[in-house]
Amino acid sequence: MRGFNVLKSRLRALFGRESVLRDIDEELRAHVEMEEAANLARGMTPAEARRAALRSFGNLGSIRDAAYEIRGGGMLETLWQDLRYGVRALAKHRGFAAVAVVTLALGIGANSTIFSFANGVLLRPLPYRQPERLVMLDETAPKRGTLSMGVSFPNFLDWRAQNRVFEEIAAYQPGSYALVGGGEPEQIRGARVSAGLFEVLGVAPVTGRTILSEEDRPGGETVVILGHGLWERRFGADPRVVGRSVSLNNRPHTVVGVMPPGFRFPEVADLWVPLALDTQRWTRTDHGLSAVARLKDGVTLEQAQAEMGAVARRIEEQNPVTNEGMGVTVTDLRAGLVGDYRQSLLILLGVVGFVLLIACVNVANLLLARASTRRKEISIRAALGASRRRIFRQLITESLVLSALGGALGLALAVWGLKLLLASVPVEFPFWMQFGLDGRVVGFTAVVTLLTGALFGAAPALQASKVDLNETLKEGGRSAAAGAGQGRLRSLLVVVEVALSLVLLVGAGLMMRSFLRLQQVDVGLDPRGVLTMGVSLPSAKYPEPEKQSAFFAQLVERLGRLPGVREAGAVSNLPLSGSRWGRSLTVEGRPVVGVGQAPSINHCVVTPGYFRAMGIPLLAGRDLAETDSKDAPKVTVIDERLAREYWPGESALGKRVRFGPPEANEPWHTVVGVVGEVRHERMDAATRMSVYLPYRQIPLRGMTLAARAEGDPLGLAAAAREQVRALDPDQPVTSVRTMEEVISRAVWQPRLHAILFGVFAAVALALATVGIYGVMSYAVTQRTHEIGVRVALGARPRDILRMVVRQGLALTLVGVAVGAAAAFALTRVMASLLFEVSAADPATFAANVVLLTLVSLLACYVPARRATRVDPITALRYE
Amino acid sequence: MTQTKADLLQGTLDMLILKALSLGPLHGYGVIQRIRQMSEEMLEVEQGSLYPALYRIEQRGWVSSKWGTNETGRRAKFYSLTAAGRRQLEAEEASWDRLVLAVAKVRRAT
Repeated sequence: MRGFNVLKSRLRALFGRESVLRDIDEELRAHVEMEEAANLARGMTPAEARRAALRSFGNLGSIRDAAYEIRGGGMLETLWQDLRYGVRALAKHRGFAAVAVVTLALGIGANSTIFSFANGVLLRPLPYRQPERLVMLDETAPKRGTLSMGVSFPNFLDWRAQNRVFEEIAAYQPGSYALVGGGEPEQIRGARVSAGLFEVLGVAPVTGRTILSEEDRPGGETVVILGHGLWERRFGADPRVVGRSVSLNNRPHTVVGVMPPGFRFPEVADLWVPLALDTQRWTRTDHGLSAVARLKDGVTLEQAQAEMGAVARRIEEQNPVTNEGMGVTVTDLRAGLVGDYRQSLLILLGVVGFVLLIACVNVANLLLARASTRRKEISIRAALGASRRRIFRQLITESLVLSALGGALGLALAVWGLKLLLASVPVEFPFWMQFGLDGRVVGFTAVVTLLTGALFGAAPALQASKVDLNETLKEGGRSAAAGAGQGRLRSLLVVVEVALSLVLLVGAGLMMRSFLRLQQVDVGLDPRGVLTMGVSLPSAKYPEPEKQSAFFAQLVERLGRLPGVREAGAVSNLPLSGSRWGRSLTVEGRPVVGVGQAPSINHCVVTPGYFRAMGIPLLAGRDLAETDSKDAPKVTVIDERLAREYWPGESALGKRVRFGPPEANEPWHTVVGVVGEVRHERMDAATRMSVYLPYRQIPLRGMTLAARAEGDPLGLAAAAREQVRALDPDQPVTSVRTMEEVISRAVWQPRLHAILFGVFAAVALALATVGIYGVMSYAVTQRTHEIGVRVALGARPRDILRMVVRQGLALTLVGVAVGAAAAFALTRVMASLLFEVSAADPATFAANVVLLTLVSLLACYVPARRATRVDPITALRYE
Repeated sequence: MTQTKADLLQGTLDMLILKALSLGPLHGYGVIQRIRQMSEEMLEVEQGSLYPALYRIEQRGWVSSKWGTNETGRRAKFYSLTAAGRRQLEAEEASWDRLVLAVAKVRRAT
């Protein structure tokens, strides 16, 4: 009740100063008039009555002010006063204000930048209906250590029929489609999707309809749904596009619908055709699909996981050969999409948090230094009756003004920082990652700004408002009044600053070392001078395998004849490009195992010149040849690791292997050659062993061409495209890149981490240097008198120098010790981001300890030098 | 030292105002008149201390105020006791009685 009353009158006072005063005035006037009336009744003359009434009332003005104060007036006024005073005080000390604001802007800007990035990845809702109910389903083979693999079509059908936890499950398979007609032939990324997909996602088309279940059958795949962007770009947003026929991969498709703007699924798909799979051709061992499902209301992720585990066991019992050891995992869609990004983003947020803390420490230091020069002013205010609370409030308001300016500038920095950050990510972002300064980012920045102001402002303001009037006025505002408490606080700040910086430096050092190690990894091929380019033939135009291999044979030959090309070849899945093709391996004479246990190998189809074009060394046997044709004996070239794994100490040549599920009885391939191992899937780890098969024995529609040039490979690009056009004018070309670019894209994440850590650590080091320098030079100023006395008593410059440096060094070393311990504890969380570097790498720790100590020595040395030049006469006169 | 004395006086004034209002709503001038009557003209409350005290009491929720008109038709602000104010008055009267009793005992002691 009381709280409510106070609040009510405070609010009234806050917003209606005038009305409150009017209220009081009128009440007091009524009182005087009543008194006057009573006086009249007692027989006084009107003039007497009035005078007497006023006299008995006393000082009307002071009563009025007191009353106003009690009724809570003036809060806003005080704030306004403080603000104006604060701005004036800052304007008077522009240098101080500028340093503080820039420091804060760096800290806050770094935070807003990383936060707006994290916001786009982790926080913005996915553009589907109730996205939190969506899950991803993966098959797993835990016995083989495979935690997630694609879904096979028959398994998907069984899941759909047997589960009771999902409203609907849909399957899809990303693909690439050559769209012909209405402009240049163009390769568009799309997906084959089962009929329920759009219903699972809960998104309806803007025009037309989605895929019907009768279209999701073999032979039904003659319809297509367009993405909004594609519709606008290629069809001029023509609403009559529904019903029109377009050519996809050389087959006519009827457009039946257009999805709303902003809708894409998965990742970057822009058109959708029916999945329309055939259970005869798609067996339980073809794990080529992805699945997404919507949880029924009230069903939790755990319940869904339990149910799907039971379904998988039932399928396993019924299909022991194909499904032995196979399970299912249910993952939240967002968590599944975000994957490892989440951890690195959280670590980066932690890093920028450290930068901001260092900025706070620096500004707190500045404020402390300033507070001591403002002692006189504060004492006078205290002497004039300002309470400690009032002074504290004034000082905190000043801090908040500083942090608000820093926050505004920081937000501007973040706009620029985010642009820079996005530009340094070379991969196309999935459509659902939208970055920008939305309300969440601005709100985050505002909260961080307020907290920052309170954080760096509180301790100095508490210190400064603790005025002992007697002391200060007695000492006449002499500098020695800074007192021991303040000195301790400043020392503490230096220690904290050094410790925080060391943590960041060590983190950055680890990241950079890890990246350098990664750069030195031998990928197993020589990327210099190699140009790559993708070609995917439409199956309708090239239905026969012979036509497909003939096309690539001609293209490789034409490329090889181009001037400046030393060697040309083609490969089904280019190393480190993200394209993968895994198959099970069976070795002749070794026990046949179920698909759940057979090793998965990296399966490449290549043309004869490929190894030479890529610089992959042939270690034994022969290269594949044009004579390894369809009717010739089936052959293969394997990599060194596979040879060592199965035939250690003997030659692998002449041995036979086959691929695919063991029960499928695929033909045997004889090993004719062994080549060096190539890091196909990741740079930081050897993953699957590789086999290479001749392109004439396994013809493919899609291959990546690789040509080794004598000079700049990109100079070849135009000529290479020309060769494709010469063979087939309708044939699009994708991803024309140098091999070096392919590799550098493969490590963009570690590189970005190294850069970001490096930048933030550099900022931290700079701030720490400024901070230590500030404290030391202030300490020297404080001790001028003492130093003067020492010099007068015969101390040599060297002694003075040593004394000052020792003081700074002691603080630094304490900070270094604390920081090293903290870094040791904290860098562990980034262990998973590091490559061949331990999170407790002694060299990195040692180097950064030395670096930080040297830098702080320098920061102490400059003021120490100044101390040695103290003239005792001046210093003593300083008294 | 001075502060303690002021507090004591202020507390007493609060109690007197609450007591005056316990008989019914009054405007500020009326409060002074009522206290004078009740004390048989022995206590004269200063206007200068009455209003700050009234506002303070109002903030604590012991009285509530409302604009109305007095017997001569002039607009005036009327204060009335709230339930919390009534409880407060009882508590203050009880403690005042104890104090008076204690002081009387001390004075009678020889």
